[in-house]
Amino acid sequence: MSATDTGGRVSRFGSAVAEGWTRERLGLLGAVALVLVAFAPPFQVYLFTDFLVVALFALGFNLLYGYTGLLSFGHGLFYAGGAYGIAIVLRDLGPVIADVVGAGISPLVTFVLGGVVGLALVVALAVPVGWLSVRLEEIYFALITLAFGMLGYSLIIQDPAGLTNGTDGVIVLLGTVDLGGFSLRIGGRRIYYAISAVTVVAAVYGVWRVVNSPFGTVCKAIRESPDRAAALGIDVSHHRWMTFIVSAAVVGIAGVLRAGLASVASPGLTHWSTSAIAVIATVIGGATYFYGPIVGAFIFLYIRWAISRFPALEAYWELFFGALLIAVVLFFKQGAVGGLLLLRDRLFGDGDADDAGSGGGGARDDGGQATAATDDGAESGDDNARADRGDNS
Amino acid sequence: MSLTSLVPLIGIADVVIGLSLGSRLFLIAVGLSLIFGVLGVLNFAHGGFYMLGAYVTLAVVSNVVDNFWVAAVVGALAVGVVGAAIEFSAIRRLYDRVDSDLDQLIVTFGFVLVIHETVRFVWGSGSYSIDPPDVFNFSVTLGGSTFNAYRLVVIGLAVGVLAALWLFITRTYFGSLVRGTSSDREMAAMLGVDVPRLYTGVFFLGSVLAGLGGALSAPLQSTSPALGDQVIIDAFIVVVIGGLGSMSGAFVGAMLIGMMQSLGPQFISAGSIAIPFLAMVIVLLIRPEGLFGGIGE
Repeated sequence: MSATDTGGRVSRFGSAVAEGWTRERLGLLGAVALVLVAFAPPFQVYLFTDFLVVALFALGFNLLYGYTGLLSFGHGLFYAGGAYGIAIVLRDLGPVIADVVGAGISPLVTFVLGGVVGLALVVALAVPVGWLSVRLEEIYFALITLAFGMLGYSLIIQDPAGLTNGTDGVIVLLGTVDLGGFSLRIGGRRIYYAISAVTVVAAVYGVWRVVNSPFGTVCKAIRESPDRAAALGIDVSHHRWMTFIVSAAVVGIAGVLRAGLASVASPGLTHWSTSAIAVIATVIGGATYFYGPIVGAFIFLYIRWAISRFPALEAYWELFFGALLIAVVLFFKQGAVGGLLLLRDRLFGDGDADDAGSGGGGARDDGGQATAATDDGAESGDDNARADRGDNS
Repeated sequence: MSLTSLVPLIGIADVVIGLSLGSRLFLIAVGLSLIFGVLGVLNFAHGGFYMLGAYVTLAVVSNVVDNFWVAAVVGALAVGVVGAAIEFSAIRRLYDRVDSDLDQLIVTFGFVLVIHETVRFVWGSGSYSIDPPDVFNFSVTLGGSTFNAYRLVVIGLAVGVLAALWLFITRTYFGSLVRGTSSDREMAAMLGVDVPRLYTGVFFLGSVLAGLGGALSAPLQSTSPALGDQVIIDAFIVVVIGGLGSMSGAFVGAMLIGMMQSLGPQFISAGSIAIPFLAMVIVLLIRPEGLFGGIGE
């Protein structure tokens, strides 16, 4: 790539930032917010890392639900696959790797290798499970994925191969990188946040590219009408299978990060109630929007945290989400992102008023990005929008 | 090991326990299957209904009347009313949507959370248990093994419910309306069937059966808020194996799973809890309509 090309890109980026309500400016804002979070109090850093991991989990799930119309109740299987993959590598291969690359750097090498193994394990699982599952549709697809998830749960609990340590799960010790005068504890909250943030942002970008590729367009066509898609010559079940694998892989990455965050890979990750978290976050956020699951995960984690501040209510946070889930499905299927876009159009009605109603798939994502990337949610996004309009006029 | 030496290992008590576990599964699964067969709704909250039936029965026995049978009827009817209210206020809004199946599943899942937390709020997180009614609370010894006589009562009641349901669906006027609406909703509506009322009625009946299952098995298990989540998964396995919508399938599937839960651990130590899920996957792939096919049979 030539220097002038890069220069052109920089100047285009600069002018785009100056113009206001643009994707580049929001991206920059999000990046600044992500860096700022690293300086928050430790618990807030932990909570935000938790949000990022759940957001990636839900985003992976929604690749299948929102983009091809298949509701999986078994994605916990892939969440756990990633977690157990890295946990078992750390437990069993740690010493071997230390012998090969030296004790100083080995925790980092083991961590990366474990992540790769976890991801490979998930893909190896998703290929046959997906191939079998996509033969079914609707309720039957939900039931077979539920069965696969619970099958994995049973096998992890009973541990016939002696790998998963039964109900206790596998402890994850991330260790400390030590290079002479420089040492880095991978499991430290801020370090782990940095690793998670970079991984999640990269994965989200990857998913975004997939969704906006010709492949993603075909997925949306299948969601709208499988029969018409088939009539156009699209191999519907093959596409669903491929989407299933990509979806599982994204969830697997979230699972790898979950293991390090929780310091344990536990069987509960495969249970259907864990798979249900992705369903809750996605539906509340808005399944027809790319950023819906991310916003939903934000709502899920932060409302749960807010409820936990009140000891009398703490134990009953599920009640709130149950009621919210029912209300969203019954009355406002566009979810939180749809609501935010509707609100934006009410406030600054500027021509693209059809945003919220039609559920524009991956195209209508700017409102969601603002909410997801900045720590304090909807308000700041809207404030920025107002300031931007002021600059323009 | 030869077959003859294997047989004595299966005590009669194990068989009775397996059948009584199957009976409680039948009562929840048959309601689930009936609702799916007629309304096309897979009710995730059915396990919650079962649990609610057990709790209401326990509460009535300890606070209102000291008669188990009255309490069980009150429990079952109370759950029926809750179910009908849920159908009337929420599920009804979704029948005409394009992707109604998944929306219904998600809404009923929302009710799983609501019922679970409400039960925890009212009765706390602890577990409760009661003795079987005095008349049947004695031990039976058969072939060298011992079990509580109440288990036989539960099995008998499950068989009775199956017979009554079968007569109701095949021999009564209301049953013919149910069958007609199940096979063609629009045609039934055009012929003058009040479909919305029939749907609420069927949902009520299915919920009563789940509540009855919970009420009758209250003396056989400890009742805790986790009960609903455990039992709904077993019920899903049963209705898939038996065939969604099939009542006789629900009975056979329930007895199969009940026996597997009772006898399985003696024969296969590792992987025994995985077998029902494996069976579920295989049935879904090979015969999604279930081993005993036929909606409404």
